[in-house]
Amino acid sequence: MSFISWQYALFLPAMVLLYWQLPWRGRIFLLLAASYFFYGMWDARFLALLLTTTVVDFFGALAIAGQRQSTAKITGIGLLPLAWLSGCSLLYSSHASIEKWILVAAAVFPLVYAALYQWLWRLPVARQRRAFLILSLGSNLVALGFFKYFNFFAASLEAWLARLGWNAGWTLPHVILPIGISFYTFQSISYAVDVYRGIARPSHDFFTFAAFVSFFPQLVSGPIERRNDLLPQLEKPAQFEIADVHRGLRLILMGLFKKIFVADNCALLANYAFDPKTHLNGPWALLGVLAFAFQIYGDFSGYTDIARGSARLLGIHLNRNFNFPYFAASPSDFWRRWHITLSFWFRDYVYIPLGGNREGRVKTFRNLWITMLLAGLWHGANWTFVMWGGYYAALLTLYHATPGLRRLAEPEKNPRGRLMAGAVLMFAFTLIGWAIFRCKNLEQLAGWFAAFGNWDPTVDWIKPFYWWLFHVVPLLLLQLASWKSRDEVEFAHFPWPWRGLIYTLLVLLAASSVAPDVEFIYFQF
Amino acid sequence: MRRWLTPSFLFMLALLAGAELIVRVFYQSSMSGRFEYGYSPTAGFVENADGTVNLVHIGGRHFWPQTFAMPRPPGMFRVMVIGNSVPRGPSLATSYPAQIGDQLRALGIQAESFNLAIGGNGSLRSEIILRQALNYQPSLVILHVDNADEYEDEREYARAQAFKSWHPKNWLMKSLFLRRLYEAKTEEVFWKWVPAEVRVLADVNDYGNKTLAGENPATRREWADRVRRYTAESVALARARGVPVLLLTGAREHDDGHGGFYLDDRGLDTLVQPLLGDGVYFLSMKDILQKTDFVPLYSDGTHLHPPGQAIIADAVVKKLLAEKIISPGR
Repeated sequence: MSFISWQYALFLPAMVLLYWQLPWRGRIFLLLAASYFFYGMWDARFLALLLTTTVVDFFGALAIAGQRQSTAKITGIGLLPLAWLSGCSLLYSSHASIEKWILVAAAVFPLVYAALYQWLWRLPVARQRRAFLILSLGSNLVALGFFKYFNFFAASLEAWLARLGWNAGWTLPHVILPIGISFYTFQSISYAVDVYRGIARPSHDFFTFAAFVSFFPQLVSGPIERRNDLLPQLEKPAQFEIADVHRGLRLILMGLFKKIFVADNCALLANYAFDPKTHLNGPWALLGVLAFAFQIYGDFSGYTDIARGSARLLGIHLNRNFNFPYFAASPSDFWRRWHITLSFWFRDYVYIPLGGNREGRVKTFRNLWITMLLAGLWHGANWTFVMWGGYYAALLTLYHATPGLRRLAEPEKNPRGRLMAGAVLMFAFTLIGWAIFRCKNLEQLAGWFAAFGNWDPTVDWIKPFYWWLFHVVPLLLLQLASWKSRDEVEFAHFPWPWRGLIYTLLVLLAASSVAPDVEFIYFQF
Repeated sequence: MRRWLTPSFLFMLALLAGAELIVRVFYQSSMSGRFEYGYSPTAGFVENADGTVNLVHIGGRHFWPQTFAMPRPPGMFRVMVIGNSVPRGPSLATSYPAQIGDQLRALGIQAESFNLAIGGNGSLRSEIILRQALNYQPSLVILHVDNADEYEDEREYARAQAFKSWHPKNWLMKSLFLRRLYEAKTEEVFWKWVPAEVRVLADVNDYGNKTLAGENPATRREWADRVRRYTAESVALARARGVPVLLLTGAREHDDGHGGFYLDDRGLDTLVQPLLGDGVYFLSMKDILQKTDFVPLYSDGTHLHPPGQAIIADAVVKKLLAEKIISPGR
C-alpha cells in the first residue's frame, strides 16, 4: 500500500481511531495485523520472508543473551512462515512472479534454524554468543544478498566469463526484490548486534518484536530504527497527546507536499533527461540533474515525513532522516543530513567495527572506502550505485586531505559568506553524485558528461526550467522559513496566521499537482 | 475544543472553505458543466437577458468567443459549423466557418456563420453541441466529420463519470476550488511550460495511448462504428427540425515514403454515403484539396493553415450555391 493512495487515506484514520480505543496488548496485535496487511497489499506471499526474519532474530537475540528456548516453542513459532505461505498458495497465485521454491526455502528455514539452534547450544559457552550472532547476521545477509544481488552478481560474472571467451550458459532463477527488505533486514541486524554488544535487551514477547520489525510506517523505506529507540515505545502503552496529533498531521502534510508537488513534478523533467533515447544537450543535462536532485529529495524525505507523521499519530516517535541536506557544507556534513538513519547504521555497524579513524590515516581512508562502497551497493544492484559510493568515498578523502576544503565546513571558523560558498560547492558535488546515481550504466553517464559540450540553443529548455523553479522555489522558501527552528516541518516561531497560510499553501500546491502518481523511489532499494 | 484545533489549523480551514464558498457562489455559472468535459448539454452557451447568446470558453467547451441573437433575425441565413480542431482553426477570423460568412456576405447574402467547433471533440460530443445549437434556428448545419477524436470522447466521458462518482480517489476533487486550481495549473502552466516530448514520455498526456489504441484494428473499427452511429443521429436530429446538413469529411496528409505526400480520408467519404439524401449534402476535404498544391496548406498533417481554411470555405460556398441551398442576392 502506498502512502499516497486513497487506500492509505482510509487505512490510516481507521487505524488511528481503533488503536487508541484498545488496551496495550490489543494495540500490539492491531499494529501487527495492520502492518502485515499494509505489506501484504503488495504481495502477501512475501510476508513469509518477513516472518522468517522475525523468527530467526527473535530467538537469535534471546540466545545471544543466554536465554535458551525450547525446541517446541521455536518449532511452533517457526512453522508460521510455512503455514502462511501454504495459506497463500491455496488462496491465490500472486502477480509478482518468483519461482516458488525460493519462497518455500525461505519459509522452511526457521525449521532448519530450530535444529541448528539446539546444536549451537552444545558449543563451549564462550563461543555460543558469537555463533548465534553469526547465524543471525548470516541468515539476514543471505536473504538480502540473494533477493537483492544474486541476479546482479551472476549476470556480472557471466559477462566477465564471456569476455574471457567462456560461455557460462546457466539459466538464472527469476528473483524479484521484496520491497523493504533492505530496511527491515538492517533493522534486524542492528537489533542482534546491539544485544550482542550488551547495549540492548532482547525482547521476550514475540508479537511485540514482530510489530517492531514490521511497523508499517517505516517498514518499506525506513527510517531504520534501533532497538533502543523503537522497541521501548511498543513495550509500554503510548500516552495520547494532542501535540503528537498536531505534529503528525504537520509531518504528513509536508510529506505529501514534498512527494506530490515537488518530487513527482520534478520527475517529469528528470525522467526525460535521463531517458536513454533523449538526445541530451548541456542545458538539459544540467536541468535533468537539478530536477533529479529535488525529485529524490522530495520523494524520500516526503516518504519519511509521512512515515514519521503516521507513527506520531499512534504516539510513536521515529527518528529524523533528513536535515536540510542541500545546505551541507562538506560530504561528511551531507551524510549527517541525508538518510541519517542509514548513515549512522553504516557508521555504527561497519565503519567503527572496521576501526573507524582510530588506527591512522591510511586505515581511516580504507575504512571510509569500504563503508561508502557498501553504502552505495546497499542502494541497488548496479555498478553505478557502487560507483556512487566510491565517488563519495573519494570526496570524503579529498575533504580530509585538503585543509582548505575541510575548513569550509567549519561554522566556527568561517564567516557566513564562506559557509555559503562551501554549501554551493558541496551542492555542485552532490549534483555530480546524483548523475552517477541516476544513470543506468556507465555509457549513459559518459553521455551525460559529454552533453555539456553541446550547448545547442535551439532546444527549448527555458520553459521547463521555469517549471522546475515553480516546483522547487516553494520548497526552498519553506526550508529557509524553518531554518531557524532546525526542523524541516516546524514553523512554531511564526505567528499563527502565517502558519495557517503556510498550511493552506501546502494543501493547494499538493492538490494542484499535475504529474501522475509515481511510486516512491526508495521502494526499489 | 481549542486544544484539538489550533488557530493556524482553523485559519487554514477557513481559507479553504472561504475559497470554496466564493467559487460556488460567485463563479457558479462559469463552473457549470466544467467537469463534464464536453458532456454537459449547455456548457459554453450563455443565454443573456437581452436575447443574445454568448459562446464562451468554459465548461470543457473551448468555443471561440462569439455572440448571436437567440431568435434568428428575419431574412438572415445562419450557418453553424460543428466539429473538431480542424474547423476550429488557428484563429476565429481565419477559420473556414468564419470565412464562409465573409464570403457569403461578399456575395451580398445576408448571412452569419458561427464556429462551434472544439479541439478534441469526437462524434458524440459534436452531437451534444448540435442538440443545443438547433435551439438557435440555424439555416444550415455543417458537420465536420472526422474519426480522429473518438479516443478523446471516450477518455473525457470516463473523466466526467469519475468526477461524478463517490469513489474515495475523487473525494478531494469534489471541491470545485481545488478542481479548478488543478485545471488552471494543467492548462496555464503544465501545457505551456512542459514540452510535448517530456509529457509524452511521462505519460501525462494521452498522446501515446491514443496512438497505441489507433494501431489496433478492432479499436479503429469501434471508432468507425461510433462515428457512423452518432453522425447518423446528428443528421436525423437536424432533419427532424427541417435544417439542412452539409457533411464535410476530414482528410489527413501523409508522407508516401518516396519524398511525396498523399491525402487520406480514412474511409470517411465512404462512411457518410448512406447518410446522404434529402437535405443532406456532402463535401470531401480530400476531393477539395486534391486539386491544389495541398502540402503547404497543412500545418502538421491534420490541421490547416489559413490559406487551406480559405480554400475549404470557398468550396463550401460554391456547394451551397450549386445545390441552391442559397442564392446570391437573397
